[in-house]
Amino acid sequence: MIRVSHLHKSFRVHRRDAGWLEAVRHLWRRDYRVIEAVKDVSFTIEKGEIVGFLGPNGAGKTTTMKMLAGLLHPTSGEITVGGFVPFEQKPEFKKMMSLVMGQKSQLIWDIPPLETFLVNKAIYDIDDRLFRQTLEELTELLDLAPLLDKPTRSLSLGQRMRCELAAALLHRPHVLFLDEPTIGLDVHTQENVRRFIVDYNREHETTILLTSHYMGDVAALCDRVMIINYGRLIYDGDLSVLTEKLAPYKRLEVRFSRLPNVDWSEYGEVAEMEEGTVVLRVAREAAAETAARLLERFDVRDINIEDPPLEEVIARAFWEERV
Amino acid sequence: MIRKYIALLRMKYIEMLAYRLATFVWMTGAITQPLITMFVWMNIHPEESGSFLFYFMAVIFVERMTSAWDVWELDREIREGTFSNLLLRPLHPIHWAIAENIVYKWLFAVILAPVWLVGAVFWPALRPHMTAGQAVLFLAAVVLGAALRFLLSYSCGLLAFWVTKVAAVYGVIDVISLFLSGRIAPLEMLPPVLREWSEWLPFRYMISFPIEIATGVAGGEEMVRGFAIAAGWMAVFVVALQWLWKAGMRKNQAVGG
Repeated sequence: MIRVSHLHKSFRVHRRDAGWLEAVRHLWRRDYRVIEAVKDVSFTIEKGEIVGFLGPNGAGKTTTMKMLAGLLHPTSGEITVGGFVPFEQKPEFKKMMSLVMGQKSQLIWDIPPLETFLVNKAIYDIDDRLFRQTLEELTELLDLAPLLDKPTRSLSLGQRMRCELAAALLHRPHVLFLDEPTIGLDVHTQENVRRFIVDYNREHETTILLTSHYMGDVAALCDRVMIINYGRLIYDGDLSVLTEKLAPYKRLEVRFSRLPNVDWSEYGEVAEMEEGTVVLRVAREAAAETAARLLERFDVRDINIEDPPLEEVIARAFWEERV
Repeated sequence: MIRKYIALLRMKYIEMLAYRLATFVWMTGAITQPLITMFVWMNIHPEESGSFLFYFMAVIFVERMTSAWDVWELDREIREGTFSNLLLRPLHPIHWAIAENIVYKWLFAVILAPVWLVGAVFWPALRPHMTAGQAVLFLAAVVLGAALRFLLSYSCGLLAFWVTKVAAVYGVIDVISLFLSGRIAPLEMLPPVLREWSEWLPFRYMISFPIEIATGVAGGEEMVRGFAIAAGWMAVFVVALQWLWKAGMRKNQAVGG
């Protein structure tokens, strides 16, 4: 569905040091600096996949997404999305995809969301019956009924985001680009949005590429992740493999009736310790055996073996890249 | 396309109603300058008060019907990144601007035409002496003027892909047009050199030309020549806009997000 090969994007930006003398000098002499936002990125995404696109701020995620959506012209390289070259901006291409930006609203600010939906209905040539049916479905899934006739500006961030998603899905796109769809939302709303995305993908086999700062989003939604840093794709593969590869250890959280005074290094590396509880980092393959030993030797009230949090794994991926 | 326009017009109409006060202020604010200019001229040439009254009332009407604010909208949309939302949709963003122009100008016409009618009852100077043919040509010239101003404003707005705060550039053009379009004084009062210039530049066709048709200053051959020059500028602006659009798309940084 999506094919990207050797994609590059560089921007020319002004460079200016601080200070008013510098500002005056800048009036007639401008220094330019070329920023390579995306460097030699290649990947393929099949129909129906949900792929998480991760990376720190300024890594090139959004730039790549904007090129995929046809907003930006690539400096070099090739992109096809559903057989179209996005930058040609053909109406047929725009009708088969949607881009939702958590930070930017496509809803018209001073009038109710329903009015934006009606405009989209006409612009995307959605016929009456399909429009009614889709809107009904989305209204139910996203609980939009009380929001449709309020001016967009008076909606809360979470309410607006739900309407954004609806606006983006009315024409039933085959490809959905979600750029930080849960940014700024409370935990409860984040979960709702995630659940909605999963259900929607299952039901309509929509191909979804998602960027997020919240690892929870990625863990809940994506089997496959791509990690980009300094414009370069540094990982593309299974989320579980990533965890295994980058975090060859498990977290053992052990709660005791009374914390025994022993040398924990015999069991693993101590990650945290507080009253009654110790968290150990234990080599993946030794985890089960270590747990058994602990249970045998001490009065253990509870024991929990889990993968390290995704944040930790990803942070490590970036750190390795830098080294 | 008609369905799309109906939807856009409806949405722009609802949006306009949401900005009732702003629309009203905007409308009345634009009337102030021609009114004051009119009183200044009446004071200088009291014997011609009647024709100044007609001329400047016509300026108010034509100016509102041909006014273009798209450069400020585009400047803001491109600089703040909201333009991307229009680009993502399968309809050229220019249609949103055209729909907006139609809605606001329709409102201006609906308000100004009755005001003129009532005025004409009390001040004979306001009564137009036009044949039916003249009236049709007057309206055609107004539409042409609106198209010219719109295209110029929209093209300038597209410069925002290269320059931030492009409205400043348009400000300069606006000052030139203040004199050469007939907003400060009827063009026949300009020095001969400027008058000559004004015939070849596009500004006259944005305001003065329709009024010249209505008052009979431009008739026959003069009128044909005027329409021809205006059509020429129209073609130039259309080509310029298309070129700017293509080049701008390559330059677009789709800021924000």
